[in-house]
Amino acid sequence: MTSEVVAEIVEQVNRLRATGQVPPGFEDDLDTCFEKVAEESLAADESMVAQGSGLGSGKTIGGAASRMRLAQLRQQATAVARRRCGPSLRRLERQAALATARAGEAVSIWTHVTVDHLERIAALSPRASRVLARARPGDSSVSAVATMYPTIEGPLLSWVLERLGAAAPEGGRGEPARVLHAECGDGRVVEALVARGFDARGADPRAPVRSDGDTRIVAAGALEYLGATLPGTVDGLLLTGVVDRLRPGGGRALAQLAARCLSPGGVVVLVSTRPEAVIAMDPVAADLAHGRPLHPVTWYHLLARYGLSVLATFEPDLSEPDVFAVSAQRLAPPQLAGRDSP
Amino acid sequence: MRTRPTRIDQVIPSIVERDAVSHHTLEAQRVLHSMGFVSEIYACSMGPGLAGRVHPLSDLPRDTSERQWVCYQASIGSPAADTVGSHPGLKLIDYHNISPSELIERWMPHLGEEVRLGRRQLAELAPVAELGFADSEFNRAELEQAGCRHTMVAPLMVDTANFYSPPDQRVVDRFEAARLRGGHDWLFVGQMLPHKAHHDVIKALACARKMFDPEARLHLVGRESCRAYADALRRFVSALGLTGAVEFVGSISPSELSAYYASADVFVCCSDHEGFCVPLLEAMHHRLPIVAYGVTAVPETLLDAGIVLPSKSPALVAAAVQRVLTDHGLCDSLVAAGLRRSRSFTLEGARRAFARAIEQALQGA
Repeated sequence: MTSEVVAEIVEQVNRLRATGQVPPGFEDDLDTCFEKVAEESLAADESMVAQGSGLGSGKTIGGAASRMRLAQLRQQATAVARRRCGPSLRRLERQAALATARAGEAVSIWTHVTVDHLERIAALSPRASRVLARARPGDSSVSAVATMYPTIEGPLLSWVLERLGAAAPEGGRGEPARVLHAECGDGRVVEALVARGFDARGADPRAPVRSDGDTRIVAAGALEYLGATLPGTVDGLLLTGVVDRLRPGGGRALAQLAARCLSPGGVVVLVSTRPEAVIAMDPVAADLAHGRPLHPVTWYHLLARYGLSVLATFEPDLSEPDVFAVSAQRLAPPQLAGRDSP
Repeated sequence: MRTRPTRIDQVIPSIVERDAVSHHTLEAQRVLHSMGFVSEIYACSMGPGLAGRVHPLSDLPRDTSERQWVCYQASIGSPAADTVGSHPGLKLIDYHNISPSELIERWMPHLGEEVRLGRRQLAELAPVAELGFADSEFNRAELEQAGCRHTMVAPLMVDTANFYSPPDQRVVDRFEAARLRGGHDWLFVGQMLPHKAHHDVIKALACARKMFDPEARLHLVGRESCRAYADALRRFVSALGLTGAVEFVGSISPSELSAYYASADVFVCCSDHEGFCVPLLEAMHHRLPIVAYGVTAVPETLLDAGIVLPSKSPALVAAAVQRVLTDHGLCDSLVAAGLRRSRSFTLEGARRAFARAIEQALQGA
């Protein structure tokens, strides 16, 4: 019966249009009006995101949904922390030993944030005491930390090189793929990439001026260097180090800069630390406050936000249980989804 | 018949309170427990009230002895899908549909990318899943198209008993006061997301006020999940001079929702994409006549319990609403059909269908 009613309604509307009772152009005007306000709202939203800074801008990225998700993640991390509180000291000592052994900058950065808690256990753990001594902000021993770099080796190095191997110049322009490693530490990954035929370069704020005139590695911070890089000129981008010590809102800035620098089809590989590793090391105060590695899900959102499509994630293994790594590709122009996309 | 697993765990990207798919997942866990399986829920993120009932995805056991199966609740792109894909256990997919990115990405690029990822993950997961079940025929067909070898429909486990709460009297009083000025009250319930096309309902209201019912009002109930879209709707309403005629209600309590359903005259849905559309069921349950744009799973959910339109041109929607409001015989028959339809969705029936789907998987699909 309803199909007959629908036919009658369609017929009625046709009559109303024919007799001018639906004013000519009225429905089109409604469409036009909505398109106009839609553009205004999108522009206003864009402006809010662009003008925001710090935590405030982070909140605007995904609107209410992202805020809810971040709140959930925080709650989740806290629940994990609670569960692990029991054996915390023994585990913390093990992690401190690991930290000492690895001596990565990322690890030292965590301890900047967790310094109060390390102080409490320093008396119980000589190893934690050593980590604390190296990591305390302003401590004279920080210079010693500055000579050490996050290590990428073994299966992780293979994975990173394989993912960056997918970074081919757009349209096969007959040149080697241009790959940038920010922050590259002592440049060993850059060297490995050059050995594989890439036009690889590195940037690191601690890089010494090379006496041999090699300008492949320059002394610059990741955000600073990426900000000065011409849009769409990098085929592959490796982000390490800086990823673990972003200031509030820095994740968004880093993802945006990465998307801006990449050529269409270009690949970004981001190596970070699993928040669970921080939680395991510092179960008392662990949450997703800034100054700690972002949760992988947050990175997925940030990368997607700027038109980067996640390709693969590194499965942590025994050699690198605390590493989170993800590769993502900048979509080719016809597929670009985001208004933020460069 | 294959080896019976000892546990069937569920994986869901995100689980929160007052969400249809989340509720379905919790009910599915009850069914699995009643069938004698150990069953836990693992999620990438969870609502604050679900701590203890749901585990972080990283805790998902990986039993390689065929004693563990994994059921993935698919509705969005998520790393959870990759975890299920690489899991050694037999895989089941419970598909709730993934909105097409082209309906979303203009407004929410990050969500557009998420749903695009979801479609890609579904295409990877479907061929390796032992069985896929979906909460509508529309969704089942998509699952089959994605490469799932064995598929069946198992309705969403919705407890229609929860649809009724005592209506909030303050809301009822507001409706009655407004009605003194004349005009009918339109209602749409759904998250304020672009593919729900609230703007098309507003266009239809503008048309109806011009052609038939100058005092008609529209109430939009649902969380504002996309700031830019919500802002555009407000600008649109203002530009059309409908500020007093359109109410942005937001997210409300069950008793307030009951009052809106009880007090409105017609439910109008212009959504571009629905995998099932629970609010249609709620409207039927509350004896509200429905006018809806007939796309995706909407016609299947409604059957003869609403006016299903072939297009959503503002004049057509307005005329359909006017017909329902003035043709009392038609209105009564729609309400009666709606009640019959809503009663066909029982929680017990949906639980049995879910259990049958699991039994079918146990028998080798």
